[in-house]
Amino acid sequence: MDFHLLLQLSMNGIIVGTLYGVVGMCFVLIYKASQIVNFAQGEFLLIGAWVCWWLLTKYQLPFVWGFLVTLAFMMIFGFLLQVIVLRPMIGEPVISVIMMTIGLSIFFQALMKWIFGVLPQPYPPVFAVKSVNVLGLEVQTVYLMAMAVSLVIMVGFAWFFKMSRMGLAMRATSFDQQVAQSLGISVRQVFALSWAISAMVSAVAGVVVGVVNGVSSALSFFGIKVFPAVILGGLDSIVGSVLGGLIIGVLENWAQFFDSQFLKLGNLYEVAPFYVLIVILMIKPYGLFGKRDIERV
Amino acid sequence: MATQALRPCGDFKSSYAADQTIFPTAWSRNFCILGVVLVAAAPFLVDRYVLTLLIQIGYLGIAALGLNILVGFTGQISIGHAVFFGFGGFASCFLNNNAGIPPILSIPLAGLMTTAVGLVFGIPAARLKGLYLAIATLAAQFILLDFFGRAEWFTGGSSGTVADPVSLFGFKFDHDETFLYVVLFYVVVLYVAAANLMRTRDGRALVAVRDYYLAAEMMGVNLTKYRTLSFGISSFYAGIGGALYAHYLGFMSIEGLDISFSIQFLAMIIIGGLGSIMGTLMGTAFMVLLPQGVNFFARSLDGSAIDHALGLHEGLPFLREMTIGAAIILFLIFEPDGLAHRWKQIKAYWKLYPFSY
Amino acid sequence: MNTLKLTLMLTGAVALAPSIAWADYSVGHLNDFSGGTADVGKPYGQGVDDTFAYINAHGGIAGTKLAVDATDYGYQVPRALAAYKNWTGANKVVAIMGWGTADTEALVKNVTDDQIPYVSASYAGTLTDPTGKGGPSSERAAPYNFFYGPSYSDAARALVQWAADDWKKKGGQGKPKWVHMGANHPYPNAPRKAEEEYAKELGFEVLDPVVFALTPGDYTAQCLTLKQSGANYAYLGNTGASNIAVLKSCETAGVKVQFVGNVWGIDENSLKAAGSAGNGVVFPVRTAALWTDSVPSLSLFKEIAKNSDPSGSEYKPVHYLSGVCAAFYLKEAMEWAAANGGVSGPNIAKGFQAKANWVPKGTEGVCKPSTWTAEDHRPTLSVDLYQTQVTGPTDAGTVSELIAKGTMKLNKVATIDLPRKKEWIGY
Repeated sequence: MDFHLLLQLSMNGIIVGTLYGVVGMCFVLIYKASQIVNFAQGEFLLIGAWVCWWLLTKYQLPFVWGFLVTLAFMMIFGFLLQVIVLRPMIGEPVISVIMMTIGLSIFFQALMKWIFGVLPQPYPPVFAVKSVNVLGLEVQTVYLMAMAVSLVIMVGFAWFFKMSRMGLAMRATSFDQQVAQSLGISVRQVFALSWAISAMVSAVAGVVVGVVNGVSSALSFFGIKVFPAVILGGLDSIVGSVLGGLIIGVLENWAQFFDSQFLKLGNLYEVAPFYVLIVILMIKPYGLFGKRDIERV
Repeated sequence: MATQALRPCGDFKSSYAADQTIFPTAWSRNFCILGVVLVAAAPFLVDRYVLTLLIQIGYLGIAALGLNILVGFTGQISIGHAVFFGFGGFASCFLNNNAGIPPILSIPLAGLMTTAVGLVFGIPAARLKGLYLAIATLAAQFILLDFFGRAEWFTGGSSGTVADPVSLFGFKFDHDETFLYVVLFYVVVLYVAAANLMRTRDGRALVAVRDYYLAAEMMGVNLTKYRTLSFGISSFYAGIGGALYAHYLGFMSIEGLDISFSIQFLAMIIIGGLGSIMGTLMGTAFMVLLPQGVNFFARSLDGSAIDHALGLHEGLPFLREMTIGAAIILFLIFEPDGLAHRWKQIKAYWKLYPFSY
Repeated sequence: MNTLKLTLMLTGAVALAPSIAWADYSVGHLNDFSGGTADVGKPYGQGVDDTFAYINAHGGIAGTKLAVDATDYGYQVPRALAAYKNWTGANKVVAIMGWGTADTEALVKNVTDDQIPYVSASYAGTLTDPTGKGGPSSERAAPYNFFYGPSYSDAARALVQWAADDWKKKGGQGKPKWVHMGANHPYPNAPRKAEEEYAKELGFEVLDPVVFALTPGDYTAQCLTLKQSGANYAYLGNTGASNIAVLKSCETAGVKVQFVGNVWGIDENSLKAAGSAGNGVVFPVRTAALWTDSVPSLSLFKEIAKNSDPSGSEYKPVHYLSGVCAAFYLKEAMEWAAANGGVSGPNIAKGFQAKANWVPKGTEGVCKPSTWTAEDHRPTLSVDLYQTQVTGPTDAGTVSELIAKGTMKLNKVATIDLPRKKEWIGY
């Protein structure tokens, strides 16, 4: 048992897991507020990454400004998307809504390829120091930034949902839309805001992955990877999704470790999260932290 | 939802049997038969390109009908239909190559093998609802795809396996003209079977599970049994579709069995109309013809002023993808009940003119 | 009076019609401009399209033009199949320029039955045996499949050879370690058997393959495993985008391995995206020259490129040059057929097999001499190996500018001439 490698892989897992957690948070935010499963989450990452890249390379903006402008753009984008495309879908069966987000993902993937081309593009260097040595593992500075930003976002979300009026309104809406409406909460505002925030935070994750690996159309696969994470954590628990993301990140790397040392199957890194997903769903259908759906007749 | 068609005045039914017929009127039955005859005459009327499209609509339509039984009639969700389709194809090639069973028999047998796999997935799926089920099927998609890529003894690994053409008493159905009849035969048999299923006790139980499963359970419908059965039937159809696909191409591999293929099946049934058998065929035809239509449209625009203005030449392939996504979105916004519903509306307008409003 | 004019016009039109409707030679062209392999499909497809346009502008094939039907199938086999059916209907094509492993493998049987020469951009070893019985490991008969360039298996063998020589030159002690990295997919797996077999033969210790997906992602885990295994030479089997992800992750993780790749694995565009992580990768190049070399024939290529780039300032990557060469080989095979019995599928196939060490006219010094015979469809066993060199940041500027400034360079390191062994055919 090569403990050194295991430790390094675990560290890597935590770091990558933070990203999964960030994307998971956005996903759960939308689901909690508007009961929509957003299959286009990966495309939000992609759009955020491309827009930021474009601002940095075409207009030579410094990273901080480009990043902030991207966030603003994504907020407006999420808001518009909700208003134009998803409002007509309120009340439709679940399968229709899923298909709608799938249709959106197909549309945006192709649009991004058309506008920005099919070749992967590198980001201009963002940090002076490219990587930092943490416990023997070289970690890219941008990942540390991602961890810091994710923590800030998590704390922000926690505060937002517990303390602010709007956050309370969102929780009320996700619990029971009709009652919330009857109490005077503007459900439309809640929906729009939840989509805007989710798009914005996804952009953060997208930019991080873009800085590390370059922007390319395959970035949207993150949107699929996030499903095991949110199921693990429970579809309506934000804390759960973060933990789920971390667990999945570590799990992937452990799977890689066991695979390379003992099992030699070769592909376990990619499919392990999905095997775990199935197992979790069989034992705990609502995830680790999700609320059990009690049905009243 | 399968709603009753408008009956013209004077069309009374005086026995249960008459009420339960698959075709509500003689006209609709005759039109169906005419349609089948037209397709059967197609090899003499149209060229190979159109025949390919008809065959594609055929085997994809069979698989899509399976998905419609699962999603439209039973209310489950499956985003992993492509791997059942693929399993059917691989199973048929496996039986053909290893056990020497001729394709004419291995296609139904492959369907049965896929049913077994579907039942295996159906059992845990019966416990899950809604979103969780969708995501579990998503996971199944990835897991099975990985299995296909790995299991060289079954699928030939990542490089795929060769399939023989279908032959009956020495006559080989290996040209488009002749294979069309094989596909037509299966389409007719399986569609009539599905329509028949829906008027039996089991079919009504499936619909009950979809509509209000708590009430169904209270009335004595065994939820687990019917949900699992639904997975099994849907896999049977997918398996047959996949086997036909394999013997048509003469080659089966995991290429193209990815998540976007599963999504295409979902798009077919949603655009066609959930819970409508005729709608499935319409939706499949739409999804098969849409890329061809966009291609044609793009080609006619090629080199013209619009082409230069929008920079279309570079973006034409993406335009095709975008059109498919946009079609799904627009259908869901404007016609959520699908083409079948729109067709019924048109028929109603025609029948009730000038009183339709 | 009007009716008379009309009738005269119509008669004139009818008389002229045969000459207008003179049968051009129909050629099919499958390309991927939008699918999973579009990053390398675009330059190659452009090369083929531009060459056909050039051929048509300069007299066609012995006076008859080519009617090229180019279809983007997005790397999806069903679409390729529909296009193929379209091409074998009433107006049957005489040849097809194909693209990837997916469509080529799916259509081998069909093109053999329909007798249509298929020039692919997939160089899988399974396409190299026309009779199917050429060698002990030969997988199938592919008499109508042709491609320009060393097969994936032979290129991998050449890389193994180079690695063995490099190990000796570096003064390495003991057995060097070789590892194959790639997705579990027909295209990356194509050369694995040949590659690992030859590596063992040359004294390498072959490690278990490392799997990474065809999509870009974070591959730190795989890189850490690679580092821990102590591999010396790693073969990257995927296409550019995912290879870049591996190179970047491994650079950060501090992995000291000599990376080698196949022809589609790294090129000038991927090098720009990879930046410093892509420095030092060795890979085969199918043509004897690059775009910026000073070979007189390149003026023809530059002339051809004006079809897609009228300004003439764009740098065309290695895949563009190979696309042009492949299209030129088809052109000359068709010209041979026109002079020897008519342009039809079987005659074009014979045309491919008619000459030895053949370089299309006007491309001397760029396209490498190729020989196809009725028993052996491996055109060349001479593999030019180049090494990438990146000396500065690559994010700013286009590929053309970076090459012009010298920030990105491709340097030739070796030409490996493999023996034409019969046992190596077909896998």
